[in-house]
Order: sequence, then C-alpha cells, then structure tokens
Amino acid sequence: MSEPVLSVEHLSVEFQVASGRVRAVDDVSLTIPSGRVVGIVGETGCGKSTLAQAIPRLLPEPPARIAAGRVVFRGTDLVKVPRGRLPLVRGTGIGMIFQEPLNSLNPAVKIYDQVAEAVLIRQWREAGVLPTFRGGPNPFDYSRRPLPETATVLSRPIVPGGPAVERARRRLPGRVEVRREVLDFLRLVRIQDPETILDCYPHELSGGMRQRIMIAMALSERPSLLIADEPTSALDVTIQAQVLTLMKELIDETQASILFISHDFGVIAEIADDLGVMYAGRLVEFGPVAEVFRSPRHPYTKGLLRAIPERYKSEGPLAAIPGSVPSLARLPPGCRYHPRCPLAQAVCRVDPPPVLTRTAETAEGEIHRSACHFTEGVAGLP
Amino acid sequence: MADPEHTSPESPARPRTRPWVSVARALRGFYRVLRANVLSFVGFVLVVAIVTVAIVVVLAPHLLVPYGATQETGVYSGPPTLLRWPPSFAHPFGTDGASLDLYSEILLALPLDLGIALAIAGFALLAGGSLGLIAGFFDRPGSVGGYTSAFILRTTDVFLAFPSLLLGLAIVAALGPGLWQVMVAVLLTWWPYYVRLVRGEVLAVKHLPYVTAARAAGVSERRILLRHVLRNVLEPVVVYFTLDIGTVLVTFSTIAFVIPGVVSYPRPPEWGSMLSFFNLNYPISQYWWEVLFPSLAIFVTALAFSLLGDGLRDVLDPRTRRALVESVAAPNPPPEAPELAGTAAANPSEGASMPEGS
Repeated sequence: MSEPVLSVEHLSVEFQVASGRVRAVDDVSLTIPSGRVVGIVGETGCGKSTLAQAIPRLLPEPPARIAAGRVVFRGTDLVKVPRGRLPLVRGTGIGMIFQEPLNSLNPAVKIYDQVAEAVLIRQWREAGVLPTFRGGPNPFDYSRRPLPETATVLSRPIVPGGPAVERARRRLPGRVEVRREVLDFLRLVRIQDPETILDCYPHELSGGMRQRIMIAMALSERPSLLIADEPTSALDVTIQAQVLTLMKELIDETQASILFISHDFGVIAEIADDLGVMYAGRLVEFGPVAEVFRSPRHPYTKGLLRAIPERYKSEGPLAAIPGSVPSLARLPPGCRYHPRCPLAQAVCRVDPPPVLTRTAETAEGEIHRSACHFTEGVAGLP
Repeated sequence: MADPEHTSPESPARPRTRPWVSVARALRGFYRVLRANVLSFVGFVLVVAIVTVAIVVVLAPHLLVPYGATQETGVYSGPPTLLRWPPSFAHPFGTDGASLDLYSEILLALPLDLGIALAIAGFALLAGGSLGLIAGFFDRPGSVGGYTSAFILRTTDVFLAFPSLLLGLAIVAALGPGLWQVMVAVLLTWWPYYVRLVRGEVLAVKHLPYVTAARAAGVSERRILLRHVLRNVLEPVVVYFTLDIGTVLVTFSTIAFVIPGVVSYPRPPEWGSMLSFFNLNYPISQYWWEVLFPSLAIFVTALAFSLLGDGLRDVLDPRTRRALVESVAAPNPPPEAPELAGTAAANPSEGASMPEGS
C-alpha cells in the first residue's frame, strides 16, 4: 500500500468551557491511504464533527485546543503550523464539504462568484502569486492529477516568490479561462446547464443543488483529501441518494481520498471502504467496512447495528442501546461504554481498554482493530 | 502589493451586456421593489425631493427661495420691529418678528440640517462601524485583537451608561455654544451604538458555516472579513443608518432647542434654534405659524428617512428583492407554471413571502 494521504496520530482535542476542559476527541489515530474512503460513524456528540474540523485546523482556537497528537498530511504536520500561516495551508489539498448546504454558501454572493473564488485561489497559488506554504520535511505537492476530461488548465509549477511575481502574474489565467473552469466544475457535479444558475443566489437553489455546488467548490481545489462532514444529513432521502451516487462517481473520477463523517450506517455501507466507530470522543473500532458489518468486534458497534430498523419487521419495539451517551464533562471511569455495555465486568469499570490494540486479521490481510477487553465475546451477543 | 487576492475581487468573465443596460435594469428593479410597498415608496420620493431641494438651495437659491439669503421681504426693510404676518400667498409660511420670510428661512436651513444629520450619522457609521467590525471579528481572548476588542467595548460601555441626550447636553455645556460644538457633542454620543450593532452582527455571521467553508478553502482572514462577513453585515447596518439620519436630526434639533442660543439664530438658519428662538420670544397662541412650520420641516425630513429605511430592508435582501421584482413585474402569473428540469433552479418567486403594500 502506498504512503497514506493523511495520518492522524493520537490526536486529542480539548475545549475550554466554564467548568474546565472537555476532551471532545481523545487519542484518535487513523490513516487514510490514497484513494480510499474512510467512514466515521457515531452518535450525536461523539466528536465526529470535531475530528473533521480539527484535521484542517478549522476549530476556533481558543476555546478549542489540540492537546496532543499529530496530523500529518502529505508530509507536513498540520498541528505544528503556526496560526498565522494557516490560511496558506488550507485549501491546498484538503477540501471540505459541510453539513448544512443551506448555510454553507454565502447568501450575498452569486453562485459564479462563490465557485470562482475557490478556483481563483488555486490558480493564484499555482501561478505563485499567492504565497504558498513550504513547511515541514516535504513541501506541499501542487502538481496534482488533472481532473479527467474537465481539466483545462494543467497544474503549473510554483514560480519562486519575490521579483518573479510580476512574471507570474502575467501568466495568470484570464477571465474567460476562469469562467470556463467554473463551468467545468459545475458540470463535473452533474449540473446540466451551469450557465443558467451562475447569476443565482444560493437561496434560489434547492438543497441538492446547493450541496452539489459545495462539492464543486471543494473539488475546485483539486484536493487529494476530501473531508465530508455529514454531507447528506440535511437532505431528504431522494436527494441524498442522488448526492451519494454523485460522490461515488466522483471518487472514481478524481481519485481523491475521502474522510466521510455520518451517523447513517446505510450511507456508510454505500460509500466507504474502511469504517471507524466513535464513542464519547474515542475511536472504539476501525476496520474494513464489510468486516465491521459482518463481525463487529466492539459491543457498541454491535448495539448500533442491532438498532438499525429492519425493513421487513413491522412488529415489536425498535432495538435500542440502553442508557444514553455520557456527557463529555463527566465521563465514567474505565471504559467509557461500560454503563451501557452488556459485556461489562469489574475490570471495565476501572481499566480503560487500550486504544485500538486488539487486532484481528481478515481473510484479505487487512487489519480490524477494536478497543475492548472482551472483544471475543462480542460475537456471542444477540 | 503583490497580492491580487485583495485587489481584484471583480466578478470576472461574463458575457457582458452594455453597462448602461444593466444600470437601467438595476434601477428598474430598485423602483419595482420600492413600489411594492407604498409607505417606503413615499419615503423614497420624499428623500429624493428633500435632497434635490437641498442641492438646489445650495447651488441656485434664487430658483426656490423667493427672498434669497439676504431676506428682503419688502414688507418691512427698516430696523426690526415686532411686525409679523400670518401665512399668505406672498409668504406661505408667514414672516417672523424681523420680517424674514419663514418659507425662505426654512428652505435655507434645509441644507445645513440635512448635512449635519448626514455628517454625524456618517461619521458614527464609519468610526463606530469599523470599531465594531474589529471588536467583533478579532475577539480571540488573550491576543492583541482580544485586548483591543475589550478596550473598544468597555469604552462604548462608558458612553452608553449615560442617556445620549443628557450626555450630549453635558458635552455642549462643557464645550460652549456653537454649531460645531453641538455636532461634536452629538457625534460623541452616537458612535457607540454602531459599535454595538456591528459587533453583534459580526458575531452572528462569523460562526456561520459559510465563513468556515471559506476559511477551509484557504481564503485569507482579511478577505473573509471584507467579503464574507462585512457583506452580510452591511444590510442591517445600512437600514439602521437610514433610520438613524432622522433620529440624529431630531436629537440635534432638540439640543439646539433646549439650550437657547447654542446655535445663534438667525444666522446660520437652523430648525431647532429657530424653534427655540420663536418659542422663547413670541406666544404660540398668537403666532402659531412660527413654531408649526419649522417643526413640520423636522418631522417630514425625519419621517422620510424612516420610511425609506424600512423599504431599504427589502431592497437589500436578495431574497425579498428577487421575489418582489418578479411579483411586481408579472402581476398575473400564467395559469400553468412552467415545468422546471430536475436540476434547474427552483422558481424563486415561490416560497418567498411577498409583503403587499397596498
């Protein structure tokens, strides 16, 4: 397997609140290999979105603080990037898709200008006019794969800064080129007549259209990693299906790796290659998606899977996990899941299971990890 | 310098229509939106009329002011007596004790009063608005911006602790009489409201997902502030500013009225001091026109800007704007709505509520 696009190592994120510090993400490690889709599921408040925003350092700091860990993206540790340089790092390979398509587009800016802003930033960076981040052991690599069919402007090498800026500016793409690229990206997300919506304001479009435009803006950076934070949760089911289909097609076309956050197992099963399950700020299970579905190795995953409503069973109450998610400010000692866990024993109340050390190898040689003292007992649960 | 990101935010590359065509279209749309609401249309017409009259009075007073700046009424051109005339055809608003034509006098005061109101509200908008922008956007505790923000806000608290009219009167009392002194006094009490307003709006906007989305796309902080935050804050602020012009006018006139002689009537002519002078020197029961017409001038001007401000809210919001333009442009929609393709834009005139003026 090639070098991972992103590797998150022991990442902890804390929030400063009135009553002290709260760890929203605790010791999470995961790697995203090139071209793979990693899904993260969990209940509300388990730290999924915090994780998604902490990776590109989008959380407001303070109150948020990255307490420990590294986020290595293409050879650069994003945690170590000084705050003032962050605008140079963002938008250079990590694209974000947000949850609410309603609020994720600036209501006062026309569609064309929204997409053009993202396109222009990349073009300016590529032409060397905008300062670009060159930190870490390996500088960022701007020579991305061109998008199939739609890519009209090939990536340009970085022009050294300083006196060469004027020369670089002359090589900037003109208006016609920007417009063509904006239209290309809108067509890429399957908008049939992109010319007709260029002058629209976001509120004039449907939710699905807006989410497509968000995806187009994220893709216009030619990202090698796309972070999708519940991109389909705010959409109704038919639009959700359309957007999912679109994203699956785009994965093949752009070869981007994706971190896909969701609370919907159906969506994850549809799109992801690997699946991580989060509970109360911790990653409790991580493995290939089919393997996690077939033989979960953490009682929480098992409980979640059991709680999915069955289509053909119309009688009886829906299955649920007893109890509720603990508040992050008052976590139970030991394993965080033990008050709700059917397998809990004395050791669980005292001793937190080490993070993702219980491994098992699947038939294909992929590693399926979990954080549970009694991971072998999970298979025996109802 | 070498950073075009901040210098070229122009909307690039469109099939260009001729500029005057788009300007005409924009004006027509503006007109339609205003016409949809009768009151705001009245406000708009009044404001345009008032501003036009003020400009004419400044540039060519003989067109509108029958007795000119020297006020030769012909009624009495000797030393001033107590000779006063009620409204008549020759003097529609009557004359005052010095035989000055009140109609001319009120018109001559218009540019000054309007200018004062615009200048004070404008200064307050610029100064208070930019301070509010800074205080709202750079409020990370512990940083330089955080301390600046706290300093700005505590200073506004000091000013807001006093009722603005009382504080204004106190400042005038300290500075002494004079037009400039009153202006400075009103301005000093005025800017903190804009700090509060803008800061509140910025705080609301800056955590919206589209600001985070822009940040994720690598947009620089300065550009986020100007394009994504300021642009969405502008709408309520402009509305408030328009409404505020009338309030400033009233406050200024009140100070000029309450402290007699703070602005020395009759030169320069100013509505508040005019009222104060007449009120003190002549009994209203006999010489009602001397108080009525300057008050009416203040009232109408303040009202005009308030009405316009209400209408502007609709104009500035792209949601109501598009809906209003189309609802007025096509009063009778065709019975069968055109079928839109699955991915095409939703019909914007649906769903948006249309405030009906008449």
